[in-house]
Amino acid sequence: MGRCLFLKPIKGAGGDLPDIGGFVEDAEQIDHYRLHEITLRDYAALLLPAHLDQRYFGSIAAGITTFLDGGGTLVFNGHVAWPMLPEFNPFVPLPRVNLEQLQVHRLTAHPVFEGVDMQDLTFRRGVAGFYARGHNPPPEGAIPVTGLGPARAPCDWVYRRPAGGRIFMHAGNDLWMYAGDACSAARIVPQLCDWAGGAAEGDCL
Amino acid sequence: MTRLAALDSGTYYHHRTLYEERYRHFFDAVIYARQLGEVRLEDYDILLVSCRTDPSLLRPHHEKIAQYLAAGGTAVAMGSTGPHQWLPGVIWHDRPTNFWWWKEGGSLGLQCVDSDHPLFGRVTLQDATWHYHGFFDPPQGARTLIAAGGGAILYEDRVTTPGCMIVTSLDPMYHHGSYFMPATTRFLDGFLPYLKTDHRPRL
Repeated sequence: MGRCLFLKPIKGAGGDLPDIGGFVEDAEQIDHYRLHEITLRDYAALLLPAHLDQRYFGSIAAGITTFLDGGGTLVFNGHVAWPMLPEFNPFVPLPRVNLEQLQVHRLTAHPVFEGVDMQDLTFRRGVAGFYARGHNPPPEGAIPVTGLGPARAPCDWVYRRPAGGRIFMHAGNDLWMYAGDACSAARIVPQLCDWAGGAAEGDCL
Repeated sequence: MTRLAALDSGTYYHHRTLYEERYRHFFDAVIYARQLGEVRLEDYDILLVSCRTDPSLLRPHHEKIAQYLAAGGTAVAMGSTGPHQWLPGVIWHDRPTNFWWWKEGGSLGLQCVDSDHPLFGRVTLQDATWHYHGFFDPPQGARTLIAAGGGAILYEDRVTTPGCMIVTSLDPMYHHGSYFMPATTRFLDGFLPYLKTDHRPRL
């Protein structure tokens, strides 16, 4: 299995954010604004935090594209707001916020969510709305993994790029916010790392 | 009219807060935080340092900001920007954040200390109530506006420099920009008009 590279959030993001330390083996973390200095081909996957300077990330998109073309996996968390990669489209919020709209539904079985009860994503301490409040529209050919509300707005999707590499999109807070949780959502972090660090051959799921 | 410049860190939540229609008209300039060094701060009456701007981008410009304050400018440090690292006289106490006080049957314990301040013509204490990440010890002579946890979570300092510093540990731009916590939107609905219309710069 290849190594996963986690980009740290911008430092202003605060000390209240999830930390993968102690939950993930064979992963590295680097400071936010060092990403352009890194030789990405040394890693199987790059995992981005929701507290991302998307203007900075967009400015180094050529290197990211090369990494993907070479078979790398990119995991994105958050709302797409700035131009970054052609596969990314601006965030679309839910038309209204109520329990029905915030309900998370499994659309396609995926290793990252194996054994994860969707109710554990819909609710956190009995409160709905932490998981996602909209979606980043997928490119044609992407596979929706989870969806919100009656419209099943795809808040998680995966995409195998024709030119190479995979993109895992999550339109919400960092998926590693569930690291160490007492509920089934704790399965996400190790399963995400296993999937992201695995060979990017065959089915993008 | 007060000239208001805001810093943009390139995050999605700054994009929603600074560029979308609801608040865009309040800002005379939106400055990418990594380009702060290229900007003439004296062109603006107020520099709004948006919630969660990376302090590592601000520290290299602390002298520039100090000169701006010495010339009478107003610097507004929003939550999780580490203002003790780049503003003079700021004393910060980091505290674990209680996100769940409202589920635990208690209260957040905010106090309106200076109800005569014009900010409270725009913002109620309820509008400021979601959580805070720590508190400040304001210098003697500064006006604490909202207190919690044993210190100030929003204060105005017109004594440390010839300018004005408004310092808070509240982070409404992050939560509004995340479509989360309606109080944070109500806070900005009042706070930004306060800055633009009611605040008295010392320039």
